[in-house]
Amino acid sequence: MLTRLPRWLFTLLLIAHVALLSACERAQSDVVDWRATVARQRAADSAEPSSHAAPAAPLHAVTIHEPASLTSIATELRDANDASVGIGCQTCHSLDDIIRGPQTDAADAGGPHAGLVFLHGDNTCASCHDPVDPTRLHLAAGEVVPMSEAMRLCAQCHGPQFRDYTRGSHGGMRGHWDLTRGPRQRNHCIDCHDAHAPAYPHFRPMPPPNDRFPPATPHEAAPAEEHP
Amino acid sequence: MTDSKIDRRTVLKVAGATLGAAAFARAVSPVVAWASELSGEAFLQKHYKELAPDEMRTVLARLEAETKEKYGAEVKIRDVRPTDGVQFGYALNLSTCIGCRRCAEACHVENNHDRRTHNSYIRVLEMQQGSFDLEHGTTTYDHVVPAPGKFYMPVQCQQCDNPPCVHVCPVEATWKEKDGIVVVDYDWCIGCRYCEAACPYHARRFNWDAPEIPAEEINPVQAYLSNRIRPQGVMEKCTFCLHRTREGLLPACLEACPTGARVFGNLLDPNSEIRWVLENKRVFVLKEELGTRPRFFYFFDV
Amino acid sequence: MENAERSIHWTSYPRFLLRALWLATDGGWGFYAWMTVLTAIALVGANAWATQVATGMVVTGMSDHVSWGLYIANFTFIVGLAAGGVMMVIPAYLYKNHDMHDVVIVGELLAVAALVMALLFVVADLGRPDHFWHLLPGIGRFNWPISMLTWDVAVLNGYLAINLHICGYLLYMRFLGRKPDPRWYVPFVLVSIVWAISVHTVTAFLYSGLGGRPFWNSALLAPRFLASAFVTGPAFIVLTLQLVQRVTSFRVPEGPINTLLGIMRITVLVNLFMVMAEVFTEFYTGGSHMSAATYLYFGLHGRHALVPWVWTALAFNVLGAIVLLTPGLAKRRPLLNVALAMIFVGIWIEKGMGLIIPGFIPSTLHELVEYVPSLTEWKVTAGVWALGLMIYTVALKVALPVLTGEHSSASLSPPPASAQPSAPAEAA
Repeated sequence: MLTRLPRWLFTLLLIAHVALLSACERAQSDVVDWRATVARQRAADSAEPSSHAAPAAPLHAVTIHEPASLTSIATELRDANDASVGIGCQTCHSLDDIIRGPQTDAADAGGPHAGLVFLHGDNTCASCHDPVDPTRLHLAAGEVVPMSEAMRLCAQCHGPQFRDYTRGSHGGMRGHWDLTRGPRQRNHCIDCHDAHAPAYPHFRPMPPPNDRFPPATPHEAAPAEEHP
Repeated sequence: MTDSKIDRRTVLKVAGATLGAAAFARAVSPVVAWASELSGEAFLQKHYKELAPDEMRTVLARLEAETKEKYGAEVKIRDVRPTDGVQFGYALNLSTCIGCRRCAEACHVENNHDRRTHNSYIRVLEMQQGSFDLEHGTTTYDHVVPAPGKFYMPVQCQQCDNPPCVHVCPVEATWKEKDGIVVVDYDWCIGCRYCEAACPYHARRFNWDAPEIPAEEINPVQAYLSNRIRPQGVMEKCTFCLHRTREGLLPACLEACPTGARVFGNLLDPNSEIRWVLENKRVFVLKEELGTRPRFFYFFDV
Repeated sequence: MENAERSIHWTSYPRFLLRALWLATDGGWGFYAWMTVLTAIALVGANAWATQVATGMVVTGMSDHVSWGLYIANFTFIVGLAAGGVMMVIPAYLYKNHDMHDVVIVGELLAVAALVMALLFVVADLGRPDHFWHLLPGIGRFNWPISMLTWDVAVLNGYLAINLHICGYLLYMRFLGRKPDPRWYVPFVLVSIVWAISVHTVTAFLYSGLGGRPFWNSALLAPRFLASAFVTGPAFIVLTLQLVQRVTSFRVPEGPINTLLGIMRITVLVNLFMVMAEVFTEFYTGGSHMSAATYLYFGLHGRHALVPWVWTALAFNVLGAIVLLTPGLAKRRPLLNVALAMIFVGIWIEKGMGLIIPGFIPSTLHELVEYVPSLTEWKVTAGVWALGLMIYTVALKVALPVLTGEHSSASLSPPPASAQPSAPAEAA
C-alpha cells in the first residue's frame, strides 16, 4: 500500500522519518553510557584477576586527623591561654588495683573522673586500656599499642565500620575526591565517637527550608501492617 | 461642519488613539525601565555551546563587572570544563544520615543562594521507619535529630542519565555535560519553567526575583555554569559543585556532612569510593520506574 | 492579463485590510463603551505584566512547588477554545452544510483571537521575555522535535497563519465580489481541521508525557482536552452568534446554532464521561497516586482550597448538560444561554484550576503547598482576556460588513473614505 503513494510523498515521509529518528538519537548520544564502561572494566578484571592497576599519576596524601584528647582526660581547669588542662592517666595511678565494672547507664564516673561518662557496651576500663600503663591500649590478643594507634583497636570490634571508613563510606572527608590532583583529610574515629561513650551525639538541625508557602504537615504514618 | 475635510468623529478617534498610546506607554513603563538596564551584549549573547573562547572571556569579564556593580563584591568567574575519563556519581548512606541539614546549609553558602529565602538545592526528608512512602515524609522538621523512629533522606538533583528536564527545554538551555552533570545556561534560559514541571525530584529552582546576598558572604570562586550569582527569572539547580569537582575537590555538601554519609567520585575509576559503594552496598535510586537513570544512589549499611 | 491582476492584489489586499480596520473603528455608543472598558482592563493588565517583568515573578502566587498557575491554566483553556472553532468548519466544509458555511468565519476568527491570547499567556508566563528570541528556529536553539513545547509553539503559530489566510482570502474575495478560487482555500481548510485537533493534542502532550507528574501522566489527558474544547468552542460561538444578531444587521439562520447545539449535546456528555473515568481510576486504585485527586475533590492534610471550585465546576457542567439535553428546557433561549455560560465557566474551572494546579499538588516529593493566584496574576489574565475580546470584536467588525456586502469594492465611494456625516449606523 505504501508503494501506491505518489513518489514525492513517499520520499518526503521517508526523509521526515529519518530526521525524526536522528533527532531522537542526537538527544540520547550526549549521555555517556558509563555502565557499559564499568561492565567492560569488570569483565577485563575477572578475565585477568589482578590488583587494580596503579594509577599513572602519583597520589596525594590522605592524612588522618590526630585529635588532642587521645592521651589525657579533659578537666574543667583552664590554663593561661584558656585551653583545657588535661591530666595524663599515669599521673594518678596504674589500673592494677582498680577494676571498674561495666556501667549500665550514662551516669558520671565521679571522683577524679568527674565528667567522664562511660557507656561503651559491656566493656570495662581494662577492655581497652593496658592495666600496667593506662596511657597505652592493648589489642584483643594482648599486644600493647600506643594511644596514637587507637584506630587499630576500634577496628578490631567494629570491623564493618572500619572497612566502610577505609573505603570512604564512613566518617566523611575534606579535600579532593581526585587524589591525583590534591590531598584529602580524614577524621579519626574519636573525632566523632568519644571512646568512652561512642554513641553519635544528637544534633540540633540547621533551620528548615524557608519556603514562601510552607508545606502542610502530613499525618503520622499508620503503623506498618503485620505481614503473615 | 458637514463639508469639513476632517470631521469630528475622525478627530475624536485620533485623539482617543493618542490617549490610548500614551496610556499604554505609561502602563508598560516598568518594563521599559527594566529593559534599559540590560546591556546590548547581554541581550545578544550566544548560547554557551556557541561561545568561542575569546567571546567567553568577554562574557565572563562582563559578568564579573556586573557582580561588582550590583553586589559590591570582587569575584572570579571561570569556565570550568569537564575532564575526560570522568563520570561523576554520588551515593548517600541512609543508615548514617542524621538529618542535621548541614549539607543544605553548605550548599546555600557555596552556591551564592538568595539569603532571604535561604534557598538550597538540597531538601532533607524526615521519613518514617518502616515506610518508604514519600507521602509520610516531611522537610519541615525542627527538633533534635535523629528522632526515634525516623530516618533521613536528603534529595537533590540526581543528574539523571535520561533527564526529563533536558528533553522538555524548548531552547536547549539545559543539557547534560560530558562528565554527567546536567547544567543550565542562565543567560539562555527563557524562564518557562517547563523543566521544573518535568523534574520528578523537585531538583530545579526558579529565581522568582533577583538574589540578595551581602557582599562579604559571597563565595568569590565561581563558574559560569554553576555558582555565579544567577539573574532574576531563570532556572538553576545543583551542579555537583562543578566549580570544585571539576578541579578534583569534593562537593561542599559532602565536606559539610559530619557523619560521612555522602560518597562522591568518578564512576569510571575502579578504585574510587563510589565504585566500592555501588559494588558492595545494596544501592537503589529514587523513582527508578520512571526510567530517569539517576547518578545519585542511596544505600543502607545493613 | 492575469499577471497584471495579480500584481494589483499585492497592494489592494493590504489597502482593503487597512480600510476595513479603519471602518471597524466606527460604531455606536455601545461599541465605544465596550472597547473603552476593554482597553482600560488591557492597560491594567499591561501594567501588571510590566511590573512582573521588572520586579520578578515573586509578585505572583507561584512557587517552586506549584510553578505553573493562572497563566498556563488560561493558556490551556484558550487553546481549547481555538481548537473548538473547528466544530463549525467540519459541518461547513466536510458535510457541505451551506447555512453553516456563511457563519463559519465566526469560528475561524475566534480561533485567531484565541491563538493570540494563548501566545500572550505564554509570554506573560515567561521569566525572561527578553530571551524570547532564543525560541526562534535558526536564530536561537529550537529543541524540536524532543521538546513538546516547541511543537506547541510551532502548531499554534501555524494554526494562526492558516486561519488568518483563510479568513483574509475569503473576505477579500467577497469584498471584490469575486468567486473564491477553491485551490486557495479548500486545502487550507482541510489542513486546518486536522491542525485544530493537533493543536490541542500537542498541548495535552505537554502534560501527559511527564512521568514525574502522575496526575497528568494519563493516556486520557489528550482526549479529555479535546472533548472539553469541543464543548467550550461551540458554547462560546452560539453565544456570540446571538450577540452578533442583536447588535449588528448580520442575520444568523437558526440552522448553524442548532447544529452547534447538537454537537454540544454529544461532546458535553463525552466530557463528563471522561471526568468520571478519571475519577474512578484515581480513587479505585488508591495509593499515593490518588493524593492529587483527593486534594482536589476532598482536601488533604487540612488544605482544601480547590474543593469548592471543582465541585462548582462539576455542578455547572451537569446542570448545563441537563438543560441542553432536555428539549423542553433547551428551547427556552434565556435558560439555554445561562446553561451555555455555566458550561463554559465550568470547563474553564475544571481545565484550569481542576487540571493544571492539582498536577503540582502534592509536589514530586509529596509536599503539599497550595497555590492562590495573586492580584497581579488576575490583572494580567484579565488584561489578556480583554485584549482577546478586543481583537475578536475588531475582527468581526472587519468581517461582517464584508459578508453582508455593506463593505465591498462596488460600494466604495471615491476617496476620501470617511464615515457618513449622518447619524452613525449601528456597528455593522
